[in-house]
Amino acid sequence: MMHALRYAFEEATASLWRGRQSGLLSTATIAVALFVLGGFLLVTSNLERLSAAWSQAAELSVYLSDSVTAEERAAIERMLAPGDVVAEVQYLSKADAAVRFGEIFPDLAGALDPGAENPLPASYEARLDDPVAAGRVEDLARLLREAPGVVDVRFDREWLERLVTAVSIVQGFGLALGTMLTLAAALTVANVVRLALYARRAEIQIMDLVGAPAVYVRGPFVMEGMLQGGLGALVALAALAATFLAVRGRYLTPLVEAANLPAARFLPLELCGILLVGGTFVGCVGGLVATSGRR
Amino acid sequence: MIETYHLSKLYSRGVYALRDLTLRIDKGEFLFLTGASGAGKSTLLRLLLREELPTEGTLKVAGQNLPDLTRSQVQAYRRTIGFVFQEFRLIPRFSVFENVAFVMRVLGVGLAQRQRKTFQVLKWVGLQHRMNALPDELSGGEQQRVAIARALVNDPQIVLADEPTGNLDPDLSLEVMNLFREINARGTTVLVATHDRELIRQVARRAVMLDHGRVVEVG
Repeated sequence: MMHALRYAFEEATASLWRGRQSGLLSTATIAVALFVLGGFLLVTSNLERLSAAWSQAAELSVYLSDSVTAEERAAIERMLAPGDVVAEVQYLSKADAAVRFGEIFPDLAGALDPGAENPLPASYEARLDDPVAAGRVEDLARLLREAPGVVDVRFDREWLERLVTAVSIVQGFGLALGTMLTLAAALTVANVVRLALYARRAEIQIMDLVGAPAVYVRGPFVMEGMLQGGLGALVALAALAATFLAVRGRYLTPLVEAANLPAARFLPLELCGILLVGGTFVGCVGGLVATSGRR
Repeated sequence: MIETYHLSKLYSRGVYALRDLTLRIDKGEFLFLTGASGAGKSTLLRLLLREELPTEGTLKVAGQNLPDLTRSQVQAYRRTIGFVFQEFRLIPRFSVFENVAFVMRVLGVGLAQRQRKTFQVLKWVGLQHRMNALPDELSGGEQQRVAIARALVNDPQIVLADEPTGNLDPDLSLEVMNLFREINARGTTVLVATHDRELIRQVARRAVMLDHGRVVEVG
């Protein structure tokens, strides 16, 4: 098997060199397809991180009336008990609220007259387990609004939903476009390999007639497709990294700093690996399609 | 070694290339197949190479019925056959040495054995001094000797040759035939298709004459 693999590799590299112009075409096609797919993956992976970071910060605030009784508070606490919807809950008394107000808005702290009654309500702040699990959070908020002793419930999750929807749309579009381009790339590889097959038909005929095993007959062509695919994926990843670094340096870093967003990151190593293996696989499929009429 | 029994090959256009051919070729025999173009010589060789299947009849080689062979059995069977064509069919980008060694290379033979065997067989056909030349740099006779070396390098039991002297002058043709005689003298069964009656007369071996796919004369 090792001999067959070495033979396939040697023949494939020699064939790629002989037909380097057409080989370049199919490598470029795979590179473009994977660049587009990788670009979408890069955007969506960063959007997903952004959405996760924002989700972590999302809270449900339950404001209490000044006249809330101990029983009413106990009932509210039962509703907010950590479980499927609520991850963690914290009680903020009227005094705590005044202290926090002073910390967040030191310039306005003087507006709260120490001698007068504290106008800020006591509240519960619940960190949610999954803020985009819309139905359950909405149900909980409705129950809380109707509970005695509650004056207001705040949970603004629309922006999170919009972000998640945007990520899904970008992902879907990217996958569809990437799949189409990848299919086109596989067909290009198949045609280029078919040209190599035609150029070497005399050799193949001799191989057939001497009873060469199929792995020797088809192997070099499948290997040629795989090399084109792998090379295309490497080119795509390199181009993607260069584009990412350029865009990050020029546009993303100032934006991230200004808006206090999580820093943009390149594709995780596993995704780079998947793209590389994917490109090689596409090339392999092209090689198999091209030689499918053979043994 | 080779047995055909009521063997026929009918092509789709309704023409019989071989019709009701019954023939026996013994192990170690040298046999000429002769006849005009279209007599069925090449068709019989293609059937023997298992490139095509007969329409009717039996075709056995070393006890195996060729139409019954599976794909892997065909591969194994072909490793026991050497073939030589009129138009040499050498690979232009390969040197003489590489053309001959190629057969062993694609059969997974190791480098040392490949080199030793290739040199041996090139020496036998008298081309060891041209082993680095490309096919285009050789004369027709030399190219056919390379093709014969390629056919022999795998120690076949049977050598099939389809008009091997068709592109050669009479002197070179006799030279090539002498190589086939030597191959046969070593115990290999040789089957040569040729329309050259003079050559058959000179070599003086059994000849089967075909006409429109039928045996018309055995000499």
